Amino acid sequence: MIEDASVRDIERELARLGATAAEPGQSVLRTRVMTHMAWVPPSWETAARGVLDNLGDRHPSRTIMFLPDPEAGRDALDAEVDLRCFAYGGPERSVCSEVIVVWLRGRCSSAPASVAQPLLVSDLPAFLRWRGSLPFGAPELEGLLGVVDRLVVDSGEWEDVEAGYDALPGLFSRVAVSDIAWARVEPWRRALAGLWPAIKDVDTLRVQGPRADATLLARWLSARLDRHVSLDHEEADETVLVEAGGRQAIPERADPKSPSDLLFAQLEIDGHDPIYEEAVGRA
Amino acid sequence: MTEVAENPLLAGLSMRRTGEPCAMVIFGASGDLTQRKLFPALYSLALNRLLPSAFGVVAVARTPMTDEEFREKMRNAVEEHGSAPLREEIWAELAVETHYVSTEFTAEGGEAAVVECLRHLDETRGTEGNRVYYLAIPPKAMEPTVEQIGKQRSTSGFTRLIIEKPFGHDTQSAHELNALLTRDFDESEIFRIDHYLGKETVQNMLVLRFGNGIFEPIWNRNMIDHVQITVGESLGVEGRADFYEHSGAIRDIVQNHLLQLVALTAMEPPIDFDAESVRNEKVKVLRAMHTPGPKHIVRGQYGPGFVDGHEVPGYREEEGVAPDSTTETFVGAKLYIDNWRWADTPFYVRTGKRLPRRETTIAIQFKRAPHPPFEIDSEDSLRPNVLLLHIQPDEGVSLTMSAKVPGQGMTIRPVHMDFSYGGHFRSNLPEAYERLILDCMRGDATLFTRADEVEEQWKLVDSMVAGWSRDRPVFPNYASGTWGPVAADALLHRDGRSWRRH
Repeated sequence: MIEDASVRDIERELARLGATAAEPGQSVLRTRVMTHMAWVPPSWETAARGVLDNLGDRHPSRTIMFLPDPEAGRDALDAEVDLRCFAYGGPERSVCSEVIVVWLRGRCSSAPASVAQPLLVSDLPAFLRWRGSLPFGAPELEGLLGVVDRLVVDSGEWEDVEAGYDALPGLFSRVAVSDIAWARVEPWRRALAGLWPAIKDVDTLRVQGPRADATLLARWLSARLDRHVSLDHEEADETVLVEAGGRQAIPERADPKSPSDLLFAQLEIDGHDPIYEEAVGRA
Repeated sequence: MTEVAENPLLAGLSMRRTGEPCAMVIFGASGDLTQRKLFPALYSLALNRLLPSAFGVVAVARTPMTDEEFREKMRNAVEEHGSAPLREEIWAELAVETHYVSTEFTAEGGEAAVVECLRHLDETRGTEGNRVYYLAIPPKAMEPTVEQIGKQRSTSGFTRLIIEKPFGHDTQSAHELNALLTRDFDESEIFRIDHYLGKETVQNMLVLRFGNGIFEPIWNRNMIDHVQITVGESLGVEGRADFYEHSGAIRDIVQNHLLQLVALTAMEPPIDFDAESVRNEKVKVLRAMHTPGPKHIVRGQYGPGFVDGHEVPGYREEEGVAPDSTTETFVGAKLYIDNWRWADTPFYVRTGKRLPRRETTIAIQFKRAPHPPFEIDSEDSLRPNVLLLHIQPDEGVSLTMSAKVPGQGMTIRPVHMDFSYGGHFRSNLPEAYERLILDCMRGDATLFTRADEVEEQWKLVDSMVAGWSRDRPVFPNYASGTWGPVAADALLHRDGRSWRRH
């Protein structure tokens, strides 16, 4: 770990690692298709590192993980810089991604954008994965939104789902938003679409599953049908039942997706998703 | 759009690129292609949930086998040749949809069992009379098989034929084959497969050229000095001597793969990515190519040598090859395209067996900087820019440019900027056959060869080989493990150029 690091220190360490990455007789390709940032409060760190470990070899990028520590008692940046290399096309070649972990101590935790900006890979898309609830209006979020192309959230991580959805449309004009919960409910949306037209007059959607997924489905159905559909919700760890007008939606059988799979899919998306935005905006 | 208008819940849901419901009939099902390519591709499509919801395979061959025996054979083939490990539940789904019919399809009454099996699939699987016939059969079996399929063609649903090369052996035979095919089938129902067109990197050529604004303005005779296309194989004939003795490199590679690469490199921007638009532009290139004179063509045959450190025999010593064979295993040529974009810009092409390594590349060599203002050690240190498209292996693109070596003096060295598919997109590249079979099930012929394209290719090849029968070549004329005959180097040296160094 580099204590009291400057951005220049981080860049120097990246350059040093890049220059020494290759073993004799090996060629190393440092590739980047995006800058992937993650805002990770302490309670999310283990989960975030797990996802990152499974993501690296599929999505080469420069990853910057911000770990805010506002109560540190000092204003400083500490950093870890790593090059994660994966063999491809034989043992003599590998492809490397850069991983930068930055602890934002004290007041530095309110200004992550000032660290992110000089480390962005120029001319490539920048994604921000925000762990936990979105602190609408907080300087750390506002600053980072100003430097990224896409915000990736999981509304299932929010403490107050309804309030989160109500506030989220305020961001749509500034940044494209992906919601991992939206990806999770896609098979259910597809299954409900398969019940058309039998469900065109429904006024209640019954969902047994997480609050966020259920709310999102009900808001989506309301938006698509252009009238209010009320939600009859029963809490469960994952969505196991969706019923509209007494008809049960049966999703296609598919392999379960890991958190890394779900994030990977969101990082592939470009631009706004108007159907999601309409759904979220439908109170 | 109509679907979404009728069902608002479909809005924003990506429609999976699956094939239309159909039964796929594979003729020549006991052959090598079915095991090495077709079933691994079908399994991969099943794994990725891209096969139609209503689907069945009817495998047809003369070899006596039960359904179970055939399924077991294909399971082994998928395990051996598939790109992903076999998963039991996925294989079980595909296996239950697979049926084997042992019959002489073209004999009197031989088609009955196939017809019955297809009728059964329509009833039990809902394949709706839709048929994809894959003809993995030798040329001599083509005519009776196509005629029989024509007689038996389904009256409901679509019928599509996938035809494997060779598409004839000269212009006349290609024309006759096309006439045979179009007797009972519309051109839109015929899918001539050239697996090169299913490769991601070949398709990326179109994206590189037409999806980037910077290349098209310099993609012409004003900026490009010449183009080099290499389709090299390190293998010998590998048990295909019977076929290869009759085809040689020019019919095996030049007529189809190599001319396709020339056409894709040289074509004008199509107005859209529709099958007809793309193929129209490719045909224009083929029509604009002028016949190379004898001095612009080099043929060769490999002798003994070393490849990958192992001693290998010469072509004439290979099993099944005549000891005095004059079949060419190497062709090099200088081609010109007579149009405004490419006039006087040579396309040097070469293909051969037993070359030092397996590689397919397209090298676009740009003109040198007109007046470098530096005092440089030698002309050689300031090399022209080369845009190199790696088709296989190591799929990707690299650009060679000059850079100053750090230090006090002005020393210049070429450096590479690389885009590697494997490095940037860590997902597996789909096999060409997966893409092409799926395209056929969807009725998309963009990546298949049209009748007039084939005939134009043959016209060029016929003109190239016209003089070959008059003289007897001195073969072998290159050692295995080298880049072809000396004359191939001379072909470029005469123009003050040389083949790319490897």
